[in-house]
Amino acid sequence: MSRATFPGGLIASVASLLLFLSFGLMAAEPDPAAALSDADKQCLGCHGSEGMTKDLPNGAKLSLHIAAPAFAKSVHKAIGCAACHAGIDPSKHPGVQREIKDSREYSIAMTAVCRQCHDEAFKHYEGSKHANLQRQGRNVAPVCTDCHGSHAVTPKTAYKTCVGCHAADMNGHQQWLPNAPLHLEAVSCAACHAPTVQRMVDLRFYDSAAKKWIVETEDNVQFEKLAKSMDADNNGLDARELRDLVRHVNDGEIAGPKTLRGRIELRADIEAHRLAEKSQALRACDNCHRGGAEPFQNVAVSVVASDGRPLRYNAHKEVLSSLLSVETLRTFYAIGGTRTELLDVLLILALIGGLSVPIGHQMMKRIVQSREKASAAAGSPGGSGTGADNKNT
Amino acid sequence: MINAAGFVLMILTGTQIRYVGLIDILEFKTAVNWHNWIGFVLIGNYFIWLLFYLFSDKIKVYHPELSPTEHFRKSFRQMQYYGYGIFRGSPNPHQVSAYDKFNPMQSMMYQVVMMLLVPVVFFTGILLWDVTRFYGLVELFGGVRVIDTVHVLIYIFCVFFIIFHIYMGSLGHTVSAHYKAMFVTGYEEVPGEHAGEKPEGNTPAA
Repeated sequence: MSRATFPGGLIASVASLLLFLSFGLMAAEPDPAAALSDADKQCLGCHGSEGMTKDLPNGAKLSLHIAAPAFAKSVHKAIGCAACHAGIDPSKHPGVQREIKDSREYSIAMTAVCRQCHDEAFKHYEGSKHANLQRQGRNVAPVCTDCHGSHAVTPKTAYKTCVGCHAADMNGHQQWLPNAPLHLEAVSCAACHAPTVQRMVDLRFYDSAAKKWIVETEDNVQFEKLAKSMDADNNGLDARELRDLVRHVNDGEIAGPKTLRGRIELRADIEAHRLAEKSQALRACDNCHRGGAEPFQNVAVSVVASDGRPLRYNAHKEVLSSLLSVETLRTFYAIGGTRTELLDVLLILALIGGLSVPIGHQMMKRIVQSREKASAAAGSPGGSGTGADNKNT
Repeated sequence: MINAAGFVLMILTGTQIRYVGLIDILEFKTAVNWHNWIGFVLIGNYFIWLLFYLFSDKIKVYHPELSPTEHFRKSFRQMQYYGYGIFRGSPNPHQVSAYDKFNPMQSMMYQVVMMLLVPVVFFTGILLWDVTRFYGLVELFGGVRVIDTVHVLIYIFCVFFIIFHIYMGSLGHTVSAHYKAMFVTGYEEVPGEHAGEKPEGNTPAA
């Protein structure tokens, strides 16, 4: 009897356990859209349906579908649908159809809505090459939504944003820029293409074992606290404190898999909107490859926050030229710009040492010969010199 | 000759590359291009030299003195000569011959330079030439800063060595004798081979 019921009981138990686990797993990843406001949920009740479109007069279709989970994860979740799409009365919607000639014109017109909150970014944008092209009637030139997206707006790295349209131009750099792939990796596009901005070095934690950037999760926010705890004098991390931080992150090992990767970024990311004409982009190497170059005057250590933004903590600019950085900044080095100070001291000593050889040797020669002369004069007055003229090697 | 000029140019362009802003004779990019090209010529030249010495009897010139006692005894005598004897006109304890070109101190120094420092500076130079291409090797040796530090340390030694070397070159039986041998004739004038001949330009020391 027991033999007949036991396997059935076991199967039932396993099935219950699996069911419980699957519910548990489902519960572990709640639907992000659930956190949206009721008003937004109401909008997404219709606009969340895939395939919802509007026929435009030019025959094209404008998608009216909004991916609810992506919107719920976006930075604009907090302000909700109505903040940008004002003037819509849900009780009469869809009522009178708004006339939209084509989707591109609509995107361009909507930039006025972005400006309501992002006026400063807009001012930078207006002086840019992209805005110039728009003014010249080139409506394919990028506006806000082309780089930032429309409903799934999240912080992006400038590099990924630019490459979206300029992938082919990346090869153009190889025509004139030595070690082009390295430069494209270590220098953000705007650092050269927005020549009037202020630059900085961003030292970001990278996990070389997992081959990805270290991202701080929402429930494990500790980078700033950790960096602060290393910064004993509370004035930014010096070379020793930075080494301690790297060691701590690697559980006590300095050469661990979590390393700092340096990149030249903008001090104020918002200035990335100020992209100049190609002819004005920085091309001279000594913008960076020179002692005291501007990008190396400000340094920060960072991780990627859960929303994709960099979480930065200031470091002293001297970390770039410290001998300790041979270990802590293994992959970031700009010839001429971040040279190790101690090696400069050694070079001066080598020069002094090198020059002191002939000077010292010639002095010794004089001393020896004057002594020889003196002793020869004392020993045999009228003696015939030292014979120093017969030297050979 | 190509080698000497090449190394001097490497030091000069290297100094320019490292100290843009302090020295602005060449543009950074030009200096880097010259440094790269001359570097590759020198690497090629090095292997020609290496093959020549490995497969000709001239290799004897580089044979080390295997007895440490003998080596130090000879080195000490050589140091005594440079530090004192040379001023008094004493004969050089080392007599140059075709198969015994270097005195014990030179022999040790040239072995270190040609067998260790020069290959290491070439190797680190190639890695720095394209750190993306050689990413794996660069990482293996501890990262670009380690590679650069080693490259620069050898450069610093070269700066010292070249001043020292040029000065030592003036200590022949005349100031220009060694330079003539190096740049003009290719052969060292060995005293004794021209018995009774007074070396040219031999003037009494002050």
